[in-house]
Amino acid sequence: MKILVVDDSRVMRQIVIRTLRQSGHAGHDIVEAENGREGLEAVQREAPDLVLSDWNMPEMSGIDFLTTLRASGGTVPFGFVTSEGSAAMRAQAEAAGAAFLIAKPFTPEAFDEALGTVLGAST
Amino acid sequence: MTVTMEPSLGDVHAVVEEVWSSFLGAEEPILPLPTPMPPGGWSAAITVSGGWDAQVTVQLTDPGAVHVTSTMLMCGEDDCTDEDLRDALGELVNMVGGNIKSLMAGAAVLSLPLVGHGDISPGSHLVEVCRLDLTWRGEPVVVTVHTPPPPAVA
Repeated sequence: MKILVVDDSRVMRQIVIRTLRQSGHAGHDIVEAENGREGLEAVQREAPDLVLSDWNMPEMSGIDFLTTLRASGGTVPFGFVTSEGSAAMRAQAEAAGAAFLIAKPFTPEAFDEALGTVLGAST
Repeated sequence: MTVTMEPSLGDVHAVVEEVWSSFLGAEEPILPLPTPMPPGGWSAAITVSGGWDAQVTVQLTDPGAVHVTSTMLMCGEDDCTDEDLRDALGELVNMVGGNIKSLMAGAAVLSLPLVGHGDISPGSHLVEVCRLDLTWRGEPVVVTVHTPPPPAVA
């Protein structure tokens, strides 16, 4: 299983990767990217099984990343990890094709609950 | 109908406590104790624009900023670079600002965070509507929310 973690913050990428381990999802291959544009390139290059992406990033936002990915035929499961968890943003994420949205600050339990449905179906 | 244009002090405090307890360790809670903020230190700010306009700012002393960064990165305090501090404090204000924004009505957009050593002045059209004076690990932490003033009543 390969997971692509996309966030412009190195600190947050480390916290996301640490929380993956703490939530019982250790042992996956992790690939990192710093924004949506790099994320698109990484999807093409690495063919991940899951994308975890921030929303608010320079160069290309997470929602533009997902929209472009889906428009190009990409079907990889995609989840947001973002500081904004309003109902409107959850609805926008779902409409664009996201499997889930995890709001920061998060807990390992929140990660496990969100990832369980996606990873559980493919492991 | 009443339209709330500023978050309550209690809501902002709850957001800050949740961010701190989740990412900075529940065993060292952030305390509602005002501690004098010396000049200098670090500031991190983020703006909200759209249905609700605001600037959310977090201020920390130099030691406080290093404590935050080393805890988030799980590294030694001597290993924290200025780039690490900018990254960690940017994420901190991003989480605080994003969660406060989620409490407010109306569609709005969150900016990318701005982090600097020293003060970050809010726009001249903004006034302070909320201020939390807190203490974490013996260091002061100040969180402020600035919004445009309410329109004058004729």
